[in-house]
Amino acid sequence: MQYSSARTTGRPVLRRVVTVVAGAAVAALALAGCSGAGGTADAGGSKTTIRFLYATGDETWNTVVDSLVKDFNKNSTTTTVKLDPLPAGSDYATALKTVDATGNWPALVDMRDTLTYVNAGKLGTIPKEVTSLLQPDAFAAAKDGNVYTVPYSALNGELGMNVIYDKDYFKAHKLSVPKTYDDFIQLLKDIKANGDAPLATAAAEVWPSDQLWKPLAAPVFAKYSDKGGFWNDAAEGKASVEELKAPLEQLKMITDDYVLKGWQSTADAQTTTLLVNKQAVMATSSAGLGRLMDIQKVDPKFNAGLFIIPDENGRINVLKNSVVGDSAGGLAISKQAAGDKKQYASSVEFLKYFYSVGAANLMEKAGWISPNIADSAKVKHNDSIPGAKDYFALLKNPNLHWYENAPTFSTFSSVNTFFRQARIEMQDGQTSIDQTIEKTQTELAAQYAAAKK
Amino acid sequence: MTDVIDRDAAAARTVEVASAAPPRRRPRFGRGRLATLAFVVPALGVYLLMVILPSLQSLQLSLTNWDGISGAYDYIGLKNYQEILGSGRFWNAVKNTLILGLGSAVIINVVSLVVALMLDRLTHLQGLFRTLVYLPSLVSAFIMATIWKYVLNYNFGIANTALRDLGLPTWVRDWLGDSSIVVWVILFIICFTLGGNTTLIYLANLQSVPQELVEAARIDGAGGAKVFWNVTWPMIAGAVTVNMTLAMIAGWVIFDQVLVLTSGGPGFVSETMAFFIYKVGFGEYRAGFGSAAAVVLFIVVIASTVLANAYLRKREIQA
Repeated sequence: MQYSSARTTGRPVLRRVVTVVAGAAVAALALAGCSGAGGTADAGGSKTTIRFLYATGDETWNTVVDSLVKDFNKNSTTTTVKLDPLPAGSDYATALKTVDATGNWPALVDMRDTLTYVNAGKLGTIPKEVTSLLQPDAFAAAKDGNVYTVPYSALNGELGMNVIYDKDYFKAHKLSVPKTYDDFIQLLKDIKANGDAPLATAAAEVWPSDQLWKPLAAPVFAKYSDKGGFWNDAAEGKASVEELKAPLEQLKMITDDYVLKGWQSTADAQTTTLLVNKQAVMATSSAGLGRLMDIQKVDPKFNAGLFIIPDENGRINVLKNSVVGDSAGGLAISKQAAGDKKQYASSVEFLKYFYSVGAANLMEKAGWISPNIADSAKVKHNDSIPGAKDYFALLKNPNLHWYENAPTFSTFSSVNTFFRQARIEMQDGQTSIDQTIEKTQTELAAQYAAAKK
Repeated sequence: MTDVIDRDAAAARTVEVASAAPPRRRPRFGRGRLATLAFVVPALGVYLLMVILPSLQSLQLSLTNWDGISGAYDYIGLKNYQEILGSGRFWNAVKNTLILGLGSAVIINVVSLVVALMLDRLTHLQGLFRTLVYLPSLVSAFIMATIWKYVLNYNFGIANTALRDLGLPTWVRDWLGDSSIVVWVILFIICFTLGGNTTLIYLANLQSVPQELVEAARIDGAGGAKVFWNVTWPMIAGAVTVNMTLAMIAGWVIFDQVLVLTSGGPGFVSETMAFFIYKVGFGEYRAGFGSAAAVVLFIVVIASTVLANAYLRKREIQA
């Protein structure tokens, strides 16, 4: 029996076409997976393109980065910086692990959990030509003598962790900024007695829970400042999480009696709206001038002020920036980019621009406090934003007391994340203070043991 | 006589053919098979590289203290598993996963079956209603959860604003911040958005139930409910197996909604197993520990799926 030739002619041709198309699709997919590390050479061959990865949670920082990069790109003849923003709400650790796993490190990185990455050899060194532009105490070397991160803002520690308040309300009700912790509690009582919500705070993203906690815990942390820091001592058994019982009790009491309802699901940025809408008289913040800037954008007429919750003796205990250790943050050059001469040179060029007087003035204009550069005297601070004068006045406050608490073990970030969630659990009434202390102590012991291995 | 000779000749020819050279074998790798392999092998290769090998590596990493970043790690045996099984946080995540996984599987299937039964009865605009039912499934879980997050916001969300405006301030709740209800709120959101596929599978099976059986039951005097329980329900047993299995597997790995709506909070109260793995494995630089939790989740999913399937398959009837 013979088959009709007409029936077989179409099939091999169709099969060939499908095979070619499938092959092209596979090749396209394979090529799409390839990308240059950190950046590429410009198509024209003259400029090197580098990527700058940064966190986008702070609107002021977003504006600053954008304007700096635009200005730099306009003037640089050798380098183009491409912004690589992390989507809002992204988990930083996950994002950095992903770039590491895919071998796709940007040249410049806005770092967190620095020690972990230094130990893993993922960061390049910052050369003297950059560090010489900074004040000597604005940076520090790691154990191997190299500098891996440089600051992206002024080292005013956690001065930005404060309480923003409605000055007009205070004036109308004859209230004043508290000078002691007891004054602060009285202030909360007075506002509540007026029928208003004294304080808004946020815990939806977990990290803002530090805003109310840290000023309350600061007196305990400050005691260990000269001994190596509370967390290091607690990990080594020279201190105990039990010592945080008193501030935890204060935290619980303030949360239960004075904080605006719904704090568990309130996002950090929403506290600005709550303040401006007069749904709360005060709000916690960790954004310093940036929060004042946000408030001004939302309501230019809002008369904001800020203060830090003092201790019972009137001292304002503020954590000093860690310039080395796991809690240190800053700008870094990735090891991947450092291995490429052009990428490294371009990264250094951008950092040198970042620490110039021109860049500092651009930052200040946008409401960002510029890093402590050697030529700080030439920088014009922006105190036009309502409340900014209160911020700069804090720097000169005789009651300001800087303390250190820089954990030196690489697994501290795990302990910190766990402790934040455990505190929220306690504030929410799911667990007792003693249970929170016990589980945090257990977690600290486990993580310290893991770091020692 | 001629017929007999013809028949004998035909039989002889048949015998000749039968005892002739053995039939030509098809070549093992004929062009057809090669073409099939050419299409299957790349996909299989990608599947092996992207799914199987990483899963095996996860098993290996679960026995280490790798932080996910460093080049080196140590083998620590079963310590990660011991820590997981002794962790109250882990068992809370298991409990939440059971509630969300099994709860959503049952609710989605019940609701989808009811909707499918209603769609099956429609004589007009069935296509339009089918599309409307399916539309929520087209929106990603992440986007849907983000929308719900704004809707349920305590201070600014439309849900509470509407309740206050309607004069029901006592009904106002912190839907995503109240630890006593947050898991049930997440369950509601999951059930609300999933179900399109499930409905269509049920609808297709309903439309393949032999109408003669239904008519015979009606002739015998069976009412609507009896027809459903005794004729329709056994006939769609296969669809129930498929839908329950798929819904359970989806439920065990619920992640997007938890990440967007609550980040596992307040505290740890709404963490699920998948979220727990992500949090510790990625967010806390404990990749070895996270891998061990992933292996435990895998075992749980396999075991529950096999058991559920074994039970559901007993009910199936081949039409």
